[in-house]
Amino acid sequence: MSAHTYATLVDLAAGTLLLSAVLVVWRRDLQATARLLAVQGAALGAIPILSGVRRGDVQLVVVGVAVVTLRAVVFPKLIAVRLRGELAHEREGAPLVNTTASLLVTATLVIVAYALSRPLVRLDASSAARAAPVGYALVLIGVFLLVTRRKALSQVVAFLVLDNGIDAVAFLATLGVPVVVELGASLDVLLAVVILGVLTGRMHAKFGGTDLDELRELRE
Amino acid sequence: MSISGLIAVPVGAPLVAAAVALVSRRRSLSGWSGIAASLAVLAAGIAIAARVGSGHVVADAHLLRADAAAAVMVIVIGAVGALATFAGVGYLDAELADGATTPAAARQYEVLVQVFLAAMSLAVLADNLGVVWVAVEATTIATAFLVGHRRTRQSLEATWKYVVICSLGITLAFFGVVILYFASIHAGASPTSALDLDVLASRASHLDPAVTRLAVGLMLVGFGTKAGLVPFHTWLADAHSQAPAPVSALMSGVLLSVAFSVVLRVRALADSALGPGFARDWLLVTGLATLLVAVSLLVAQRDLKRLLAYSSLEQMGLIAVAAAAGTRLAIAGLLLVVTAHGVVKAVLFISAGELQHVHGSSSIADLTGIAARSPLLGAAIGAGLLGLVGLPPFALFGGELAIARGMADAHLAPALGVALVLLVVGYASIVNHGAAMLLGPARAGSPAIVVSRPVAVPVVLGVAVLVVLGVVGGPYPHLLETAATVLGAR
Amino acid sequence: MTGAGVAGAAVQVVAVAAGSPLLVGWMRQVRARLEGRIGSGVLQPYRDLRKLARKQSIVPEGTTVVFATAPAFIAATMLVVAAIVPTVTVASPMDGVGDLFVVVGLLLIATVALILAALDTGTPFGGMGASRETTIAALVEPAILVAVFALSIRANSSNLAAIVTATAHRPGDVLTPAGALAFAALVVVVAAETGRLPIDNPATHLELTMVHEAMVLEYSGPRLALVEWGASMRLAVLVGLLANLYLPIGVAGAHAGAAGLVVGVGAIAAKTALLAGALAAGEVFVAKVRLFRVPELLAGSFLLGLLAVTAAYFLAPRGA
Repeated sequence: MSAHTYATLVDLAAGTLLLSAVLVVWRRDLQATARLLAVQGAALGAIPILSGVRRGDVQLVVVGVAVVTLRAVVFPKLIAVRLRGELAHEREGAPLVNTTASLLVTATLVIVAYALSRPLVRLDASSAARAAPVGYALVLIGVFLLVTRRKALSQVVAFLVLDNGIDAVAFLATLGVPVVVELGASLDVLLAVVILGVLTGRMHAKFGGTDLDELRELRE
Repeated sequence: MSISGLIAVPVGAPLVAAAVALVSRRRSLSGWSGIAASLAVLAAGIAIAARVGSGHVVADAHLLRADAAAAVMVIVIGAVGALATFAGVGYLDAELADGATTPAAARQYEVLVQVFLAAMSLAVLADNLGVVWVAVEATTIATAFLVGHRRTRQSLEATWKYVVICSLGITLAFFGVVILYFASIHAGASPTSALDLDVLASRASHLDPAVTRLAVGLMLVGFGTKAGLVPFHTWLADAHSQAPAPVSALMSGVLLSVAFSVVLRVRALADSALGPGFARDWLLVTGLATLLVAVSLLVAQRDLKRLLAYSSLEQMGLIAVAAAAGTRLAIAGLLLVVTAHGVVKAVLFISAGELQHVHGSSSIADLTGIAARSPLLGAAIGAGLLGLVGLPPFALFGGELAIARGMADAHLAPALGVALVLLVVGYASIVNHGAAMLLGPARAGSPAIVVSRPVAVPVVLGVAVLVVLGVVGGPYPHLLETAATVLGAR
Repeated sequence: MTGAGVAGAAVQVVAVAAGSPLLVGWMRQVRARLEGRIGSGVLQPYRDLRKLARKQSIVPEGTTVVFATAPAFIAATMLVVAAIVPTVTVASPMDGVGDLFVVVGLLLIATVALILAALDTGTPFGGMGASRETTIAALVEPAILVAVFALSIRANSSNLAAIVTATAHRPGDVLTPAGALAFAALVVVVAAETGRLPIDNPATHLELTMVHEAMVLEYSGPRLALVEWGASMRLAVLVGLLANLYLPIGVAGAHAGAAGLVVGVGAIAAKTALLAGALAAGEVFVAKVRLFRVPELLAGSFLLGLLAVTAAYFLAPRGA
């Protein structure tokens, strides 16, 4: 794979990551966002696979395949299963910040991400590291979504976007963290998502819905 | 016992107990194996302390590494774990007798508590920052269903907030770890060992400052979330008040301190890589802010368990301020406060759990005339509260004194003044509420308090340990001073 | 200023002026066939224009010269834009003013003229259409500027002809994330500027759902013919520009001969027909967006354009 092809494909993957994150902010429908998460996971996994193929590093390719399996297949499936069951009628209602304002805030966050990640890009000027700001942007967008969404499952989606962003920075800037750490981190995220899914089910049983505004009983 | 076997005990023993609890049918077996595991952790901690007390570091080949600071934390985990697991046996018995829980849920509780203890031990003993991170996240996962054990609406709300906020914080910490890995590789470390704590310490001066500042900032905020520091502190009162009392004891007493010990390690790294100002400023600001938030919510508090939770928040604020000072005396005092606070919170939460069980509520207005109805519990809570507010002869007094002197040495006198004022206000509120609960005649019709052995033993033992720690010198203060040096005190 | 350039510009103006009703007819026919209707044939707009030109022009009482002159103004502006925008040739003599901002400004002038004429009638539907069109125009301006700016970064110039020439030399440049994002943004922008679905339905009969149609409710006869012709020229110019920005095959250069000009006309006709057909087919599957959600859609288009700009700056591939 030539350097130019590699750079183009990595840029394509990074661009897909960013676009899918923007569409998650735009689309309020939970099922659509679950599908967008699958696209995002696939784009994320493509990056270590491309790096592994270019360097002939089998371990990197295996990690990439594992990432794709986890983030493009397992996580969206977990969310979709939750949605199909008792929560079939749940859509994101009006989020705390309306869609137009959210999109404009997202634009600001993307610019902030590029500014914040300048030290990283300055240190390593390879073509992959130059796309690291995309991961930063995903982290900021994930935090923004976490704070402004009202449905329980939307917060789970926001958390996954955040995590995808961190992994994107890891793969783009450093070709991934040590395998042990990556494994542990993926396992932790998987368990966290499973726990949140179970809690969402319990919430639906106890509160009759997963609107987070219902969780107001504990006060000072 | 060989060194690598010794270091593996604090992680391995609770895991063995968890396996026993998973498969055994007899509750007494799983209960006793849990208590035995915690005592094993304590014993291993003391044995490790004996070997590293003079500044050596012991490590096994792959994963674990113990220095004086790690030994201190293992001792705290073992001590508080022993108290909490002992009380936990009685807690589960009472719940099963009341029909408030099922045997399956009780088994889940026991397994999760042991996994929780193992994860905390791994967090203080791991030699790779990435593995430390995995362990801290594992504590969140293990405690998620423990907080929600009681299946009420309020505990569900508390669990959700806890999992979401702590996962957010810990994910930001992971971001910091990734960026630090990036900086470490560019400073010349090899990819497999770039996150090892000693490799990072030795290469600290070569790390790119701008990138390291990003990484350290994210890690301070992220691990600070698990330690309950502002701005991500909102989960603490809810989670600690809704969890079962022995779990609250563990979370308030140890988990916050374990998370803060990771913050201390990050602080040491920041000081060698960036100079002392960066971490100090952040810790000072957030410590004072945490103190302010905690004290303002202590004053008009109406629920006993939330009172105890906010007092933990107050202690964490004090600890953060002490860490900002960074002198040897300040950090040694900090570690003594951590130990004493762990024990005293365990005593108080276990007593509070007993009171909640008897009265069916933990609201302060409902709990009056305790000393009149049960002299044992009244004396224990009274001693605990006096110890909590830092009166001699309890150990917190010595710790806070050391912190005050350490801060004065570090030229942080104005901050010390502000912190002391806030602390005094907080302590006055605690004493006020405590007096309202303990003193005075029992109200007509309040139920009699019968203190069972699983509650009485830990409570009495805890108070005794507190007095001993506060009065006796000897090897423990020496260990604390070595630990302070290891943690980069000036 | 070459002979080929002048000839090319003249050919452009004539082609757009004469061919834009054909484009509208083609789009309507594609929609009709996809919807299972026979359709009225691609030449129907010409028949409509001829019919309108022969009808009596009725001017409402109380309108001023604004109402009377706006249609001619709009048509004239569109002809000027047709001369500037690089559709058949990139060497138009008006190239000196062929800047992105100028073109966007000219399009806006035509929009404002129609808005003022609608307000001039004093009717409630005119006012309603005018206010809606103002909202949309205000939101479309930043979106179109940002999206084309993303494409201009690679060419180092905001001159439209320069951008098209640069893409002609390096066709792979538009396959980048920046190019794809800008394309998505520009599709939404073209739909908004020309008043097509999902922002405005040109075939609606319900006044409360109208935007463009409400502004021209009071026009009749030749003036209405001018307004309709101006709208179809706007559509032709924008679709042609979009096609050339991404696929500048066959565009005549500064020294093309007559053959080159013929090839240029044929190429732009084919590309425009293809793109317009695709847009019309897409329209079959979307519904009109509710008015209060139009700002959302346009903000999203702006965001896509902004992302395209940042991608163009930071995700530039090394090498070629």
